[in-house]
Amino acid sequence: MRKLTIALILLSVSLTPLHAQNELEIFGYLESQMMGLRMQDKFFQWYTNKLRVDLKSELSSHIMFAANFDYITHHGKTRWNILEFLSPEINEEVPPGMEEYYAMRFSDETFLDNAYVRLSFSHADLTLGKQQISLGTGYVWNPTDIFNVKDVLDPTYEQPGHNAVRLDIPLATLSGLTLLYAPESSWRESGKLIRWKGTLFGFDIDVTAIETWWRFHDYNRLDPETGSFWEAPEKRRLLGVSTAGELLGLGVWGELATNWLERSEDFYELVCGINYTFDFQTFVMLEYYRNTLGRPDSRDYTLNDWMRFYASEQKALSRDQVYVLVQHPATDLLELGLQSVASISDRSVALVPTLQYSLSDNVDVFAYLNFNLGREGTVFARTTGSGGLLRVRVYF
Amino acid sequence: MKLTLVFRWKQGKSFPVKIGLVLGVLTVMLVVALLGQSLTGEQIIQRVNEVLSPETSWGRAKMTIVTTSGGERTFVYESWSKNKGEMNLMRYLEPGRVKGQAVLMLNHADDIWMFFPRTQRVRKMATHAKKQKMQGSDFSYEDLGSGDAFIEKFTARRLEDENKEGFQCFCLELTRRPESDVSYSRLILWVIKDSFVPIAIDYYVENDPSRHEKSLIASDVRTIDGIPTAMKVVMQNRDDDTQTAVELLEVRYNLVLEDTLFTERALKR
Repeated sequence: MRKLTIALILLSVSLTPLHAQNELEIFGYLESQMMGLRMQDKFFQWYTNKLRVDLKSELSSHIMFAANFDYITHHGKTRWNILEFLSPEINEEVPPGMEEYYAMRFSDETFLDNAYVRLSFSHADLTLGKQQISLGTGYVWNPTDIFNVKDVLDPTYEQPGHNAVRLDIPLATLSGLTLLYAPESSWRESGKLIRWKGTLFGFDIDVTAIETWWRFHDYNRLDPETGSFWEAPEKRRLLGVSTAGELLGLGVWGELATNWLERSEDFYELVCGINYTFDFQTFVMLEYYRNTLGRPDSRDYTLNDWMRFYASEQKALSRDQVYVLVQHPATDLLELGLQSVASISDRSVALVPTLQYSLSDNVDVFAYLNFNLGREGTVFARTTGSGGLLRVRVYF
Repeated sequence: MKLTLVFRWKQGKSFPVKIGLVLGVLTVMLVVALLGQSLTGEQIIQRVNEVLSPETSWGRAKMTIVTTSGGERTFVYESWSKNKGEMNLMRYLEPGRVKGQAVLMLNHADDIWMFFPRTQRVRKMATHAKKQKMQGSDFSYEDLGSGDAFIEKFTARRLEDENKEGFQCFCLELTRRPESDVSYSRLILWVIKDSFVPIAIDYYVENDPSRHEKSLIASDVRTIDGIPTAMKVVMQNRDDDTQTAVELLEVRYNLVLEDTLFTERALKR
């Protein structure tokens, strides 16, 4: 808290003259979340409060900067051991004496999420610093996006900023070239991206090539030097294509990415989806996702698979999944929905009824319940519990 | 009569000019009246389209939704339009919840992209998305979007002229063309005879041409940059018992707008 106070004071002091000169915009939100989980006759609850302060200023017609500060507090159950969610068979794989290493603890956080400067030239935009990088057309899964992993139950939640140098060169109304460099400790370990975007037969289409260093971990062994899980990084090359458009009156999109790894087996990811709005305002969406890094059979899941999935090192545990969303504005302020995520490979499913309510111009309420209905050992196993979330967000 | 005219003419040279003016105005009125009588529905809707689709425009508008419970939600947005409504860009300014969200509509709203600043994502929308309510209001994107929808999506038939909202109006029935994807089966339009501004529109649902769903009433018609403009429109939804008002806070026409304003780059700014 002291750190945050000092940082905010420094920020406000240093930015006061700027405010006067360049119309600094200060906005953001306060978000309060309450979450609960019922698992094997026990009920757990925990809370987070998040203050996000965004700053934005156009220093001139060619220079813009933006930044945001996040301060998050955690309450209630803040320590979890992932092994509690795994089947007895997977627990047997845990090396003796290492059980405590699978525990996660959530502590209060203060961080600069985004902080970048954008220099706009007549034929290009150069963005330097921590910035959101959003790639691909998928709603829940984005095979071409190596920077982010979305929460399948809350896929539209904002993604964190990534440190990068990005050059966007518009070529026509809706086409352009993007070059991105995400620096790490050496050129070899840094992320490099080139993307062309254009239109073809009324479809938006983009082709992306990426080279990066993928920081996989081996969750069966410890690094004696660091005392944490063994890191097994390797070079990853990705070539992907994504598209979005309309076919027979339906909104359609697709995304395909092939990944070549230095040592591990190569894999590909595929997404295709459709959506439609009926005249009575009901919106439906269906998205299919295949990831050949995922297993076709739940009996093949390993401790490493589960841990990499929970640590967001890989996007899916099972090979084939499908997401369905039905949403309807019940009144002018209330929107009700039903999401469902199903793992076709292991025949498990999660049902997620949702509610969105506009409490006032700048206050939103979002809530969902989550019912996992699969058998033990599957992605959406009943034994991993069912729960819910209530989020109130106040914008300023 | 002839003598008097000659006498007065001799008194001052301006008199025949005045007479000429009066006669001229009367002639124009007569011609307009005759033309008005002879105008077909298609010709009237063509004129309406010309009034509603200036070469370029910029505006700042306030949208107020009155909910079923009597509460209000207010949005302020800015919009730009070019090539008689072929290209449109709209960006929300208020409230903070939606600030920065933007919609780019090209090819008379056949191609739509939305930008969400919180996720920095640009998403191409299919045309069915035009049916969605704009921020929960009684306007769909379709209602505010395409400049030439009245001509392209409907056929027009002239009905009996009527007085509406204090104006002498042409009354038209617009029936959806069979191949059209528009969400209404038919519209009834009341068009002010002097200015060709539609002062009222009744909307009938897609599947039932007898079911009257929404009514739009325009008011406060002013001439801005030579173009008659309704500064306020109110859409009433008869099914939901809600209404949404859009007030133009500022509007300008025939400005120089670069094509680069209607690109993905501009959408994300």
